Amino acid sequence: MDESLKQEEELQKKEEELHKIRLAFLNILEDKEEARLQAINERNKSLAIIKNFTDGLLVLDENNRIEIISPLVETFLGQKEEELLGKSIFEITSPKVNLKLLQDILKEDKEKGIKSIFRQEIKLGESLFLEVTVSHFKTGDKKGSLIILHDISRDKLVERMKTEFVSIAAHQLRTPLSAIKWTLRMILDGDVGEITPEQRDLLEKTYQSNERMIALINDLLNVTRIEEGRFLYQLEPTQLEDIVGQVVEGLKETASLKNIKIKIERPKELLSPIMVDKEKIGIAVQNLVDNAIKYTPAGGKVTITLSKNGNQAFFKIADSGVGIPQDQQDRIFSKFFRGSNVVRLETEGSGLGLYTTKNIIESHKGKIWFESKEGEGTTFYFTLPFAS
Amino acid sequence: MSKKVLIIEDDKFLRELLGKKLTSAGYAVVLAVDGEEGLEKTKKEKPDIVLLDLMLPGINGFEVLEKRQKDPEISDIPVIILSNLGQKEDIEKGLKLGAKDFLVKAHFTPQEIVNKLQMVLG
Repeated sequence: MDESLKQEEELQKKEEELHKIRLAFLNILEDKEEARLQAINERNKSLAIIKNFTDGLLVLDENNRIEIISPLVETFLGQKEEELLGKSIFEITSPKVNLKLLQDILKEDKEKGIKSIFRQEIKLGESLFLEVTVSHFKTGDKKGSLIILHDISRDKLVERMKTEFVSIAAHQLRTPLSAIKWTLRMILDGDVGEITPEQRDLLEKTYQSNERMIALINDLLNVTRIEEGRFLYQLEPTQLEDIVGQVVEGLKETASLKNIKIKIERPKELLSPIMVDKEKIGIAVQNLVDNAIKYTPAGGKVTITLSKNGNQAFFKIADSGVGIPQDQQDRIFSKFFRGSNVVRLETEGSGLGLYTTKNIIESHKGKIWFESKEGEGTTFYFTLPFAS
Repeated sequence: MSKKVLIIEDDKFLRELLGKKLTSAGYAVVLAVDGEEGLEKTKKEKPDIVLLDLMLPGINGFEVLEKRQKDPEISDIPVIILSNLGQKEDIEKGLKLGAKDFLVKAHFTPQEIVNKLQMVLG
């Protein structure tokens, strides 16, 4: 009797256990199903985002093979998804655009091993301008790259319209200013009769004011063209020594009026040629030498040193001038910025020179920086890569 | 015999001011207000040199240069461009079309223009 009761109890316990295990299994299955549905959901969400992305998007694996693209990539490249997926970014072709520019950027990025985000504007077709952004990611043990192609064709068109507008405005402004310049000059030169010293003084000041306006228009014209001109006009192999020589020659008289000595120190051997837009680099150097003379008191010294720094040309200009106050140094390259110490001196200046110079040097893939101490002087440096 | 200069400039004030300066510098001055008149007077007056503005009503300065190049009667009369356009492209275009020099009005005084003329004409 006892035996059968015990056995029944045991059976019941085992049944309950089985019941619990069955419940547990059902729970696990439910959780797994939930997780599976969630994964599908997430994947659908990501796909929806990618398929509706308003930029061209490419995800590459660590071997530069294209894993995912957004529809706009098909539009930009004129190539169907099937022709792109699974292929290396360096192997794909396009019937519509010249991919070499894009591939060169990616190669450069790969070689330099840039860790942070890399961005550049390129012209891919006749009226297709793209801003290419490349970033590299790592999630868990999966590495890859993300390339975003952002259409800036319209922005470029607006930029071009702005430049044209400024060109036309500059021309229109120059016409009456020429009339004023010529009239004042003729009066001052005595072409229309004698003038009193008092009249001369007044008219001379007016003439200078007018000259400042003409110079300002030139600066504005240059700035606008530089801003539009990430596409430089015409690159030619050039000797930096020649450009610097010409600029200094042109400013010799201005310097001697202030009794400022300009010295150029050249390396023993000719520097390798640099691949630059001669006119623009001339403007860049002109602004630096101009500033050095302008902001150095009479009797001071300006020394220019040219040298080779690895595979770059190295330019240094040191003056014994008024220097840049410490608290204003971070703004020195800003548009229209002029140091408070020189504004007080009343020296002329539009505040556009360094902004323009920095733009020009950086468009040529160079670097520009400076050191300065108020009351002692300023030294500007820039580098430009040699033509390879 | 004084040298003859033809000024092709549509702005009345600038045209007359420059004419006045050149006359007092000893040149015989002929004036034209647009491209068409400029070409006519070049043919008729055969100046020793032409000062040519670019922004003109009707045909512009570049077109004047093109027509001059094609006309053997006037193609060897030297032309100096006097304009307030100053972009590198404009200068190159002008020189390619046969102009001897390119001066931006706002950057030169009348006396400096006279000096340039003397350099070219001797």
